[in-house]
Amino acid sequence: MYALKRVGQAAVTLLSVITITFALIRALPGGPGDAIRAQVMQSGGSSNVDMTQLNALVESYTNVDPSTPLYVQYWDYVTSILQGDLGQSIWYGRPVSEIIVQALPWTVLLLTIAILLTFAIGIVLGAAMAYAEGTDFDVGSTVVSMLLNSVPYYIAAILLVYFLSIQFGVFPQSGNVSSGLEPSLSLSYVGDVLYHAVLPVASLVITGFGGTAITMRGNAIQEIGEDYIRVAHLRGVPGRRIAVRYVGRNAILPMYTQFMISVGFMFGGSVILEQIFAYPGLGYYLLEAISTRDYPLMMGGFLVIAVAVMICVLIADLTYSRIDPRISDDDAREAY
Amino acid sequence: MTTMQPTDVSTVEDPIFEVRNTSVSFDMARGESNVLDSVSMDVRRGEVLGVVGESGSGKSMFASALLDAVVDPGMVTGDITFHPESGEPVEILGLPEDEIKRIRWEQIAMVFQGAMSSFNPTMTVGAHFEETLSVHDRPVEAGMDRARDLLSELYLEPAQVLGSYPHELSGGMKQRALIALALVLDPEVLVMDEPTAALDLLMQRNIIELIKQIAAERDLTIVFITHDLPLVANLADRLAVLYAFEFVEVGPAYEVLTGAKHPYTRALLNSTPNLDTPREEMQPIAGAAPDPVSVPDGCSYHPRCPLADERCVEEDPPLDADDPADDHAAACHYVERVREEIPLTLQEVRRHE
Ligand SMILES: Nc1ncnc2c1ncn2[C@@H]1O[C@H](COP(=O)(O)OP(=O)(O)OP(=O)(O)O)[C@@H](O)[C@H]1O
Ligand code: SF4
Ligand SMILES: [Mg+2]
Repeated sequence: MYALKRVGQAAVTLLSVITITFALIRALPGGPGDAIRAQVMQSGGSSNVDMTQLNALVESYTNVDPSTPLYVQYWDYVTSILQGDLGQSIWYGRPVSEIIVQALPWTVLLLTIAILLTFAIGIVLGAAMAYAEGTDFDVGSTVVSMLLNSVPYYIAAILLVYFLSIQFGVFPQSGNVSSGLEPSLSLSYVGDVLYHAVLPVASLVITGFGGTAITMRGNAIQEIGEDYIRVAHLRGVPGRRIAVRYVGRNAILPMYTQFMISVGFMFGGSVILEQIFAYPGLGYYLLEAISTRDYPLMMGGFLVIAVAVMICVLIADLTYSRIDPRISDDDAREAY
Repeated sequence: MTTMQPTDVSTVEDPIFEVRNTSVSFDMARGESNVLDSVSMDVRRGEVLGVVGESGSGKSMFASALLDAVVDPGMVTGDITFHPESGEPVEILGLPEDEIKRIRWEQIAMVFQGAMSSFNPTMTVGAHFEETLSVHDRPVEAGMDRARDLLSELYLEPAQVLGSYPHELSGGMKQRALIALALVLDPEVLVMDEPTAALDLLMQRNIIELIKQIAAERDLTIVFITHDLPLVANLADRLAVLYAFEFVEVGPAYEVLTGAKHPYTRALLNSTPNLDTPREEMQPIAGAAPDPVSVPDGCSYHPRCPLADERCVEEDPPLDADDPADDHAAACHYVERVREEIPLTLQEVRRHE
């Protein structure tokens, strides 16, 4: 019942996002319609512009035919987007969906590696800090975690590029794979892809794990002090099992929603990150689209990112109560 | 058998525990804090020993010392000898980790103060039973049958309770499930530290009845810790009263309740809420409980005692009886004056059968 309601909410959110992009396309002064018109006029001269031809052109790029009534335009736009037709990129002259399908896997690759590493490092470090509470190691790690966590990822990215690529040439400066390599599952290709992913991933991980570590540390310290940990020791449960099954698990579970939400936010962060590394993922194309005023591509990129964030939050929302038995559906509802 | 003077009433026939000069201390910024001060006490095999005292008197320290389970960084010193049903006596304190781990729960189990949070909230109640059985190398199938029997005996629906997460059970159900968990390895001793404190009055009585029943059925020795005198009145065979980290009185429950020999016990009886006592007539004990860092010299009760004099300030009274044959004793210089000078207001204590 609750799931149904949440999915319904998500559908409404999706429709709102589409509606907003539709409104932007129509309303922005100098928006896509004008941009295309201007282009055509430039190339064809202002004297002999055929209005019907122009409108057809605008429609093929943006899915909106300016000559039809508003509700027809809206309906056409929504239905074509729901069918996966995001229009035509002005700059690249290719369907937007094609560009996105090509770019998205690279972004997903970066983000998956980055998020898994961020959480793995953060959780292990945070747990170690909790068990060593008050020691020099704990204090030192806390300071380092907080410092790194306060550095924006793009600053880290710029520093990494400057030192490791430009100064020392240890890692490639840009791109996702060396030119000339044929895509295959060969060791050299996969290795090259990972080699190119090191710096972008590192800038997310280095600035991200600290937050996870500090949350984990706090959660774990609280767990270690719980009565049931003491009782488990007395029942003879081995310390390692207590660390994993009791402290670890109970401390990680509340971070699950944070995990899912950070996936969504990293999608947003990919815009600047991929620009710094000229990494041809979704974010890279989105920023390119903005600077070239390629509205259809821009709208497509926004839409995909918005949908990705929405799906992550929806999944987090729907599965949290199943993952953490302490949370009933009622509580999960209040998590947002 | 007696290691001290013949008048030392902390010794009993056939003890299952012999606690001698046992102390618990914490190193604190304000100084060393002695939260159990060289106590000696025996527990008789098969009895229910009630340990009472006000909050902060050291009850939980005594309870956890019996399993060498005092919370870090507390230091336990002294001798605690455990006499298992069969086999050699065991010195509990200073036992290697793997040996004490085997004795805990297999022979001496404990139900904690704060039973409400004794279960891991992300594990089902049943998983706690299975885990306990398997880490002690017991056959899980047979053990779970036993668990189900125990739960039914405690008036719980075994399938439902075992399949639930802790937060799905009520306080009383959790409490009973915890008692079953403590008994699943069939221990000889069950130490219960305020097991009913978080429950309502009716549920408390209920659980006391169940504990009585279970203890009788399986020759269980119970050390029952509480600050609630009337609650144990009905359950305990003997009562021991803790004041300021020392035992000040010990004796058969009925005698302690009707003829308390120590001024503190009498004050405790007079201040005790009773179902029949109107609240207005209750008088709290005047004065504050002592601070473990600076326990008063001499008799530690002297700042609050109406009978205190010079001698009390200077001389610490031992816990013994005038008559060596008497098994009821109090640590007070003026036991013979107490009865007249501190009358008991509580008229009626039901004799426990
Ligand atoms: N971790 C600790 N460090 C230092 N002192 C402690 C610690 N735990 C308890 N104490 C002190 O030890 C004394 C005895 O505590 P204990 O828990 O045995 O009291 P109690 O009789 O069980 O009280 P209650 O009825 O409140 O449970 C108290 O004065 C308390 O302040
Ligand atoms: S010894 Fe003195 S101070 Fe202590 S209880 Fe007896 S009369 Fe009171
Ligand atoms: Mg206590």
